[in-house]
Amino acid sequence: MNATVATQMFGADFLKLRKKRSTLIWALVLAILPIVIFFTVNAIEHASNSSHEAAGGINSFHDGVRLLGGLFFGPLVAILIGVEAGTTDSSDGVFRDLVVTGRSRLALFATRVPAALALCWSVIIAAYALILLGTFVFASNLPTPSGSLIVEGLGFVLLATGVLCTVAVGFASLIDSKPGAIIALIAWQVIASPLISSISSLGSGRNFVLTQAIAHFGPAGTKDARGTEVVMSGGTALIVILIWLAVFLGLGAWRTRTMDA
Amino acid sequence: MSAEPRASPDPDPTGSPAIETRGLTKRFGERTALDGIDLQVPRGCAFGFLGPNGAGKTTIIRTLLGLTHATAGSMQLLGHPVPAERSQALQRVGAIVEEPRFHPFLTGRENLRLVAAVRGPEVHERIDPALARVGLSDRAEDKVKSYSMGMRQRLGVARCLLADPLLLILDEPTNGLDPGGIQEFREMIRAMVEQEGRTVFISSHLLDEVEKTCDAAAIVDRGKIITQGAIADLAAGGEVRHELILGVDDPQLAQSTLDGSELVSEIVPSDEGLRVVLTGGPETAAQLNAALVRAGVGVMRLEPVRHSLEQRFLQITSRLDASAAPEEVKA
Repeated sequence: MNATVATQMFGADFLKLRKKRSTLIWALVLAILPIVIFFTVNAIEHASNSSHEAAGGINSFHDGVRLLGGLFFGPLVAILIGVEAGTTDSSDGVFRDLVVTGRSRLALFATRVPAALALCWSVIIAAYALILLGTFVFASNLPTPSGSLIVEGLGFVLLATGVLCTVAVGFASLIDSKPGAIIALIAWQVIASPLISSISSLGSGRNFVLTQAIAHFGPAGTKDARGTEVVMSGGTALIVILIWLAVFLGLGAWRTRTMDA
Repeated sequence: MSAEPRASPDPDPTGSPAIETRGLTKRFGERTALDGIDLQVPRGCAFGFLGPNGAGKTTIIRTLLGLTHATAGSMQLLGHPVPAERSQALQRVGAIVEEPRFHPFLTGRENLRLVAAVRGPEVHERIDPALARVGLSDRAEDKVKSYSMGMRQRLGVARCLLADPLLLILDEPTNGLDPGGIQEFREMIRAMVEQEGRTVFISSHLLDEVEKTCDAAAIVDRGKIITQGAIADLAAGGEVRHELILGVDDPQLAQSTLDGSELVSEIVPSDEGLRVVLTGGPETAAQLNAALVRAGVGVMRLEPVRHSLEQRFLQITSRLDASAAPEEVKA
């Protein structure tokens, strides 16, 4: 597969995802609505009670990054889009028509990942821009984040959502069921991960919880978003993330290559 | 549906069959879906793959296209062994497996763009001609969810044409089409074969459809090829028999005149008249007519009997049913 074909296949996969209106609307709602509500409520509280801190400033920036990268909303966007990318061909019955073109199944699987990331990150970047807007517009006399912190925050939310989105593509391709994949991944992210992280008797075994490894790379002000923190080195966190990616991309590719179309 | 230029030249004009299988077997657990299929589909014809529901028609198509793995046997598509050279083999193959499926939230053109992107950069320029070829240019910008079944079938053919196919494999292609659509589809298939030099492999349980559209066919039942060959030969049961229906004013005189004649091998009275099997070719009919007139028999009708594939198919499958019956009783 040459670069031209790869680019065209990426474009085709991206077209499928961005035209799936229900997924795109839900992704935008999940990414943007909590941020709008967060700044609106804080702005109203500040307006009605001047002792309440202004809605913008660096603390609100950290809260916003936490909403988008560390807690539910960014990961939910990543899961929705990743699962859609992993299952849309087979759920619409089109996968076999792509297979009969003679193109390798691995190539068909491989182009799902960048397309999912492109859409996921477009939504996340739009939401991040909204956080910055609220941070500066409502800052009043509060300090605002520096340029390096803004870049660090962006890198963190892209890492957090990008890794989850990629894992979701692989997992959804593996089990080949959209509802099943969404339920399992949300349950893992929202229920199982915090629960496992809170069991201190598991010790360093908790290092293998993906959200803990990702949270290691969060900006300093978002650290309390980890809930029950698991301390690990940067190298360990990176290895854990790479293991998750390798396992789920490998399983997704294997299933795509071997399944009856 | 508009005219299409001939398929671009075959890069491997070795004269190998369009499809060839040897001992192709597919098992799903204990169940044998394909049982040692030996199939040969010549190039440049419409070939029917005929069988009742559950006979194994779709399974062989799925196996040929690499959608599922064969348990045993070998296959070639356009001279390329598959699965070893599957990618090269499928470059010039277009296929509709079962019903044509699309992303319903995309337009017809966008659905073709997806497949064009996977097939290669040169394929994009075939999208407009393919849409025009199947008469969907006007609806190309509409979402597929608004298409009728007939329109989806046509869009499926357009998707096949993106490959500039030397071989089209169509699984039950007239399902869901109205009579006008079936007629249009039949004409398109014939044009693809006769004017464009493509090979079309059609699986169907509709005998009439295969008989009207195809040059040759194979009859499959319970995972086995029962017989294959030209449609006329299949219908005649492999024998070349020239039969006539005779309408005469005096059947008894006609029968006594022809009894013992070297022109006929068999005379059977029927509701339509006398059914006569000739010993020679169609030219013997003129001699037979002359003999009857000389004997004073008034001949009102002299009509060749057209063997129907349906009769032959029912003959074969009822024989199979009969032979299977004792086993079923035992079971």
